[in-house]
Amino acid sequence: MTAASPAIRQTAALAWRGILTTIRLPQAWVPSLFFPLVLMSIFTASFGGAPGRIPGFPPVRSFLDFAVSGAIIQGVLIGGTAAGSAFASDIEGGFFDRLVASPTSRVAILTGRLGASMTLAVSQALLFVGLASIFGARVAAGLGGFLVIVVIAALFAAAVGGLGVYLALRTGSAEAVQGMFPLFFALLFFSSAFFPAETMTGWYRTIVDLNPISYLVEAMRAEVIGGATVGTACTGIGIALGLAVITVGASGLALRRRLRVAA
Amino acid sequence: MSEPAVETRDLVREYRGGIRAVDGVSLTVDTGGIFGFLGPNGAGKSTMVRMLTTLLRPTSGDARVAGFDVMTNPDAVRRSIGVALQDAAIDPYMTGRELLRLQAVLHGLKRAQGRARSDELLGRVGLETAADRRVGTYSGGMRRRLDLALSLVHEPTVLFLDEPTTGLDPMSRVTLWDEVRRLNTEHGTTVFLTTQYLEEADQMADRVAIIDGGRIVADGTPRALKAEVGHPLLAVTAADASTPDDVARVLARFGEMVPGAHVGGAAVRLPGGSAAMADAVRALDEAGVRFAEIDLSEPSLDDVFLIRTGRHLEGADTAEGGPATDA
Repeated sequence: MTAASPAIRQTAALAWRGILTTIRLPQAWVPSLFFPLVLMSIFTASFGGAPGRIPGFPPVRSFLDFAVSGAIIQGVLIGGTAAGSAFASDIEGGFFDRLVASPTSRVAILTGRLGASMTLAVSQALLFVGLASIFGARVAAGLGGFLVIVVIAALFAAAVGGLGVYLALRTGSAEAVQGMFPLFFALLFFSSAFFPAETMTGWYRTIVDLNPISYLVEAMRAEVIGGATVGTACTGIGIALGLAVITVGASGLALRRRLRVAA
Repeated sequence: MSEPAVETRDLVREYRGGIRAVDGVSLTVDTGGIFGFLGPNGAGKSTMVRMLTTLLRPTSGDARVAGFDVMTNPDAVRRSIGVALQDAAIDPYMTGRELLRLQAVLHGLKRAQGRARSDELLGRVGLETAADRRVGTYSGGMRRRLDLALSLVHEPTVLFLDEPTTGLDPMSRVTLWDEVRRLNTEHGTTVFLTTQYLEEADQMADRVAIIDGGRIVADGTPRALKAEVGHPLLAVTAADASTPDDVARVLARFGEMVPGAHVGGAAVRLPGGSAAMADAVRALDEAGVRFAEIDLSEPSLDDVFLIRTGRHLEGADTAEGGPATDA
């Protein structure tokens, strides 16, 4: 038994609770599956002819191959926001107090919630790729490529979850966290999640090029449609990791601040 | 002999805007008893509990719980205390058993230990049959009992119950009282109980402190506090040919009359305590005064509160089901 083992067991137990309470509350997970899948279907049906006709569109086998990565990122974004508002509900409802008044590791309070988010994101990525493959999509880079997709999804889940938890700790209000959701959604549309950046121009293109989400989606997409290299994979993983470090770090500071001020 | 379960000195908590929710509280709660912390809404009860359970930092002063300083050694405090806060913080989507097992892991119990302990506690609070149902389906009383079980997973030495029966029906309230009493007598757990109900403090606590406006206004055993306030009131109803005046003439020999306190008879405060009642009855008999009913009533904790603050405790917040938030 190492000194760290209680914190690890606590993380696992809290993550399990996070997963159970998500699964048992359909409004917590249905949107994160429904919206991305609906958008993916609509786009595939509407823009199925786009590849090869629209200048700048990369060569792909089908639009579905192109769309699946955006759907995964969108699902993770919705799921991560839900994790943030669940954390805020814990603060509002008193579960957070129960944790703080117990010898639970302060780190586990965060890692438990993020662990749940990451696990759910990985399952979601599996599901989306699985569903898309039923309709003919293929991950060109094979198992290794699939692994890259899963890792990026998990890290992005930690990043979004970290941001959600940060907002929860600063506002203490589930409503406030949910209120940020439209902003996250806008961030998604100002990225290359649904259409290639090459087809965009002007200021819109500038924003898309600055948006980190674009790089995550493109790194995942390269694994699906082909053209992925170690470089593209590392860029995607690196950016996701960087985002996660920033938001999880911020949530750690916010937790310390809340515990210190405790008002 | 042993360290007090709770000891505070000049404890102060000031909120933004300079409001002092707790304003210089010095308390000593001995190990092994049930301590009742009584006060109206907003008196500072919850703020006090939050400081003692390491959830809130005191603005100034000292507090030790189970022998550990809440500021410098909060982890040791957390290992020693059980906490059931107002508005039981319980996931509606988890089952009672799942929550108990989770709590056991959070307190560092081994898996097998946690399972055994969960089963034992479910039995003790009478939730075996509901153990695998989601908490969302529980009644208010069941939730409080689960909350109590959750706070006991690690066998704490000091148990904090913040308004454990607020909003419960009388039956559930009595069940919970029994469980807390049993815990105290059989397991020797010190109980620090906050309440806004006089009856609860009177029934449960062997020591009571009354807080109002962030300050302790009275502190002692319920019996001593009530004795301080006044003597028991003896009320006698006249019967047959005897008049209330006849009764009053005899009773006046035993203490201070309370005019108008008893219709159809007379009432007197007995400085000699309840023991003087027998003498009074004998004197009535010897004087040939006929009487029907005799009623001896002890002063209540409300009388204590009234004398110390000039207000009644109950009725100060008659808002049934109103927000039970303490500043």
